[in-house]
Amino acid sequence: MTSMQAVPTPDATDDEVPILQLAAVRAGYGRIDVLHGIDLELRAGEVFALLGPNGAGKSTTLAVCSGQITPSTGGMFLCGRDVTGVAPDALARAGVCLIPEGRGIFPNLNVLENLRMATFTGHSFSQVLDLAFAQFPRLGERRKQTAGTLSGGEQQMLSMARALATEPAVLLIDELSMGLAPIIVEELYEHVRRIAASGLSILIVEQFAHEILGLADRAGIMLHGRLLHTGPPASIADELADAYLGAEHETPAAHPSQ
Amino acid sequence: MTDAHTDANGTMSSSRLSQFEAEVAKLKVTGGGANPERLGSQWGIGLTILGFVIAIIAWWSALDAKGDNAAVSALRAEIFGFIGIGVAIVGIVIWARNSITRYLRYWIIRLVYEQREQTEQLVQALRDSK
Repeated sequence: MTSMQAVPTPDATDDEVPILQLAAVRAGYGRIDVLHGIDLELRAGEVFALLGPNGAGKSTTLAVCSGQITPSTGGMFLCGRDVTGVAPDALARAGVCLIPEGRGIFPNLNVLENLRMATFTGHSFSQVLDLAFAQFPRLGERRKQTAGTLSGGEQQMLSMARALATEPAVLLIDELSMGLAPIIVEELYEHVRRIAASGLSILIVEQFAHEILGLADRAGIMLHGRLLHTGPPASIADELADAYLGAEHETPAAHPSQ
Repeated sequence: MTDAHTDANGTMSSSRLSQFEAEVAKLKVTGGGANPERLGSQWGIGLTILGFVIAIIAWWSALDAKGDNAAVSALRAEIFGFIGIGVAIVGIVIWARNSITRYLRYWIIRLVYEQREQTEQLVQALRDSK
């Protein structure tokens, strides 16, 4: 249940209102809290990389941002408006789009049928196809192919195409590289780089930092459900090894000012 | 990101941002209705119990009706009894509606996962056979 009292409000002193903000969010599954007070800001047109080892709470953070998990305390804000507890489908229609871990395509449907799913935002099917095939021409060649028989990279492209066809304002990407060969990951990140250049606000979760730090404007390291460090990718890179190798940090930066 | 939503500098246009802000402003904040069906089911069960309690009390009142106004009291109790049964029926409908929605939601998720699993197995088998 959402706490109706004492929901923190966004920082009013900042000139630029973040397009997405989590303020002191605690959330989890049932009675088990996975996130222990996350403060995160995504500014308009920014790429924010959320890094951390397995089980750090990165995917749960995205689940909160997409409305799939309601914070037990704390708040979520879009353009400064409290949207804590808004249904995930309403957020998706508004323009918050999640590309889930494991692609989230319908494997027994073909490419066209999968793309038809993106018409829920009100775009016509032909519009969706134009947008999808313009970004990923390879999908156009395989439009009648059953999605489950596509290669891992193509399935990920389909997932991205379906998301982009809805013309989101905020894109949440969960573990793009999961189960894919490095060369495919590199190709996919090239697409993300292009998408990022168009000015879309992207919150991207990754376990493997190498590719993502190159394209992020800012990055954060998560560990044990807490956002330990945020800052420019260059400053984060030094902290990464410690986070992954299990070194504990008891520094003032444990709750950085955004 | 059509051209209409991307300006000359390749950045997301302010119109898309404004459109997003307008969409966000329209969002209905439910205050944490993370599981509306469960809440609906609970309301349904509550109403059903309440309805039956009203009906039973009305029935007892009708049985107890004595004296000169017995017929009037019995009629009043009868009306309350019908109201109670009506409330119970509404409760059952609300409970059934939410329970079925909840069941179907889980059923379709399970179906999607099963089919995904089966397709992956099939694709793997086809690749192995080559």
